[in-house]
Amino acid sequence: MDRKHATRVVAAIAAGTLVVAACGSDGGSDGGSDGGSDGGTGDAEGTTAPTDDAGTVTVYTGRHYGIEPIFDEFTADTGIEVRFTTGNDPELRERLVAEGANTPADVLMTADAANVELAADAGVLASVDSATLTDSIPAELRSADNDWFALSQRARVIIASTERVGDPPTTYAGVGDPEWKGNICLRPSTHPYTQSLVASLIIAEGEERATEIVQSWVDNDPLYINSDTDIYKAVADGECDVAIANTYYLGRLLTEDPEFPVEIVWPEQDGRGAHVNVSTAAVTKNAPNPDAALALVEWLATDGQQAFADANFEFPADPDVEPNEIIASWGEFVADLAAVTQLGEFQPTAIEVLSAAGYE
Amino acid sequence: MTDAATLRQQARSLSGSILIFAIAFVVALPILVIVWSIVQPSTDVWRELWETRLPGMIRDTATLLVTVLAGTVLLGTSLAWLVTAYQFPGRRLLGWLLVTPLAIPGYVLGFVWLDTLQEPLGARQVRSIWLCALVLTLTLYPYVYLFARAAFREQSQRAVDVARSLGCSRTEAFWRVVLPMARPSIAGGAALVGMEVLTDVGTVRLFNVSTIADGVLRVWFGTGDRNAAAELSVLLIGVAVFLIAAERLMRGRARYTQSGTRVGLQVHRLKGPAAVGATIAGWGVFTIAVALPVIRLTTWANEARLTNQTATVAGDLRFHLMSSLRIAVIATIACLVLGVILVIGLNRKRASGAVMARLATLGYAVPGPVVAIGVLVTLAALDRSGWLPDGWLLVGSVVGLIYALVVRFLAVAYQGIDSSVGKVSPSIVASARTLGAGRFRVATRVELPLAAAGIIAASVLVAIDTLKELPITLLLRPFGTETLPIWVWQATSESLWVQAAVPSLAIVAVGMVLVATLLWALEHGAETVS
Repeated sequence: MDRKHATRVVAAIAAGTLVVAACGSDGGSDGGSDGGSDGGTGDAEGTTAPTDDAGTVTVYTGRHYGIEPIFDEFTADTGIEVRFTTGNDPELRERLVAEGANTPADVLMTADAANVELAADAGVLASVDSATLTDSIPAELRSADNDWFALSQRARVIIASTERVGDPPTTYAGVGDPEWKGNICLRPSTHPYTQSLVASLIIAEGEERATEIVQSWVDNDPLYINSDTDIYKAVADGECDVAIANTYYLGRLLTEDPEFPVEIVWPEQDGRGAHVNVSTAAVTKNAPNPDAALALVEWLATDGQQAFADANFEFPADPDVEPNEIIASWGEFVADLAAVTQLGEFQPTAIEVLSAAGYE
Repeated sequence: MTDAATLRQQARSLSGSILIFAIAFVVALPILVIVWSIVQPSTDVWRELWETRLPGMIRDTATLLVTVLAGTVLLGTSLAWLVTAYQFPGRRLLGWLLVTPLAIPGYVLGFVWLDTLQEPLGARQVRSIWLCALVLTLTLYPYVYLFARAAFREQSQRAVDVARSLGCSRTEAFWRVVLPMARPSIAGGAALVGMEVLTDVGTVRLFNVSTIADGVLRVWFGTGDRNAAAELSVLLIGVAVFLIAAERLMRGRARYTQSGTRVGLQVHRLKGPAAVGATIAGWGVFTIAVALPVIRLTTWANEARLTNQTATVAGDLRFHLMSSLRIAVIATIACLVLGVILVIGLNRKRASGAVMARLATLGYAVPGPVVAIGVLVTLAALDRSGWLPDGWLLVGSVVGLIYALVVRFLAVAYQGIDSSVGKVSPSIVASARTLGAGRFRVATRVELPLAAAGIIAASVLVAIDTLKELPITLLLRPFGTETLPIWVWQATSESLWVQAAVPSLAIVAVGMVLVATLLWALEHGAETVS
């Protein structure tokens, strides 16, 4: 009895596979399976050929936090549907490069300048000619070829405990002062934020000096935490007194607790300004729907600027758009805009510098 | 036998060999594509790596590997022995519960314990390789536990009786008879653990541990240098091959099959302090590995519910759950069918068969993100080739995603099926052959039915692995497919633990159901054979 039973099980499984395999390939050719319950991700399977339906724009986005309401707003404004897939910047870039002419993606959005620059170098982004974009986005915040555009800026700044630190460092090099030995928190070198910060040091001060600065951080025996939110919490909890982190996480923490005992120190204010990285958008070279793609990027740079930046407490790329109330309350600051378009070029050197210094 | 019949048989055997070769080749292709880049070694990168991070990576990988292997073997074997050989309060339930850590992904257990221990231990102390090893041990020991328990259960009391009659104490009998006989199974479980540790990229990053797998991603995504990353992957594959060789060595020429009649091991009833101790030990492990993390996740999930954070950009729980189940079911069936074909086709072959088997199971020794890119590059080349029907694209299709998951997890199905088919007594197979049954007939009528329980168990392991899988799904999923781990990733990459709780709990819940199925299959298997 048991043998018969078992034979039936195996036979049933084999039959099931054939059915499923058949379904799988059907799904490939006819598409149209329903996506998310609230329509966030697309309504067509990825195997369908790119259609020329001007009503949909397809986005690969490395920036995923709070992105969907923005796309909804765009759809409400323009009638163009957005289908998107989220992922890590470098992997989405690899996918775009591998897909080449077959890509379904019209727009690439990244959370970091270096990754979009590497995509541009790989030749998968389109240079676009749009007065709307060049008018609203300053030249420092877009590539020379106009193949990518920053939409918002994030400052990576020095943060310090308001309870234990009276005289915090005001330069990135100052974080390496022996005064703070054993009391600094940094993000590991695996993270693009660290890599682009060091790239900006190299751009401004040269590789040799940048190496010295990174070495002085390492000599201060930093606590490496792979999460900016946790870095803020570590400063609040007394694990470290001084740290380097992005401002927008403080925006989130302050909405939860207005008394959060950590302050922002704008670094390099007597010189080049605080290191900023950017969230970007670009039209892909092989976009099946270039018109809709450009419409989305233009909308994000104009009508959608406020919402896009505010969603994550970032600074709008368009200087005429006011930053969100909470981040405006941190005061005006000088930003190191000159480095933004070079961050990609210097990222590999930054990684070498970090490795050489033994930065974890 | 007539000449015509012989010819027919040869033709069938040839087409069978071609099929096997085709499967092995197609499954290994994405990995070979990656390995291929080693043809032009980038010596500069290596020199630099050697001067900077590589020694640390090797040290961390070795430390983690040795610690987790020791931990899982010790924990898995002793717990398995405890619930097999001793009677104490709650033994039956515990026997089931001790498998459940399998349902919790390492990265989930990692972020729960990281956040929980941050305050008492301090942010610096909590990020240590030892805690990482502990977390990995707690999620991975069930592999050893399952294999060891099965081995103990299959053993006959007669062997122990013989040992006792020769003057061994109970303890001596365990060390000198029971444990050596279970050794191949324990080594098999440990080999799986080793692969999981080598290819883990989610858990290690939480604890700032820089392993080689982590280094592959660091080099690749930081510098875009695919060659250097590929070469590091090859180093990783080398370590994996060494592990497999070690396992084979442990197994040696020993071959343990079940005899027709069997008397299970006698269960010894524990009393007093011993019973209390056993109960505490078993429940203690369950509490740390499952109960406390689930309680913590539930608290977070409740917080998420109160603050209305129980859906993502892509949809609600039901949507993600269905995506996850759909992918897991299809991938499991695909692995199962291919696994069975490979086992039937390779079972009696020699060196060439071993090479094919190794090829087809290569993906398990490679970190998920590397498999993902290998598949991406391979499929994208096919998409561009013009060989496919018009309008077909494999990248970003269900077919492409399932293919990638098969590349990664076929090994799990193959190993499980192979080991259970291998346990079918050769005398039964020989009898069937004597009665004139061909190889295919023997396989479908004798071996597979006898090994059915083991096959179900192997599929459940694949299903659990697929359910927890992140990097491959993240890169290759079609639009409209958003699995539970992707939701976890979206939340944890922003350190929003509260938002990660609901999908994490869902993974654990589905995993628990699968674990229950697994145990049912194993119990059922024990009955079928006896």
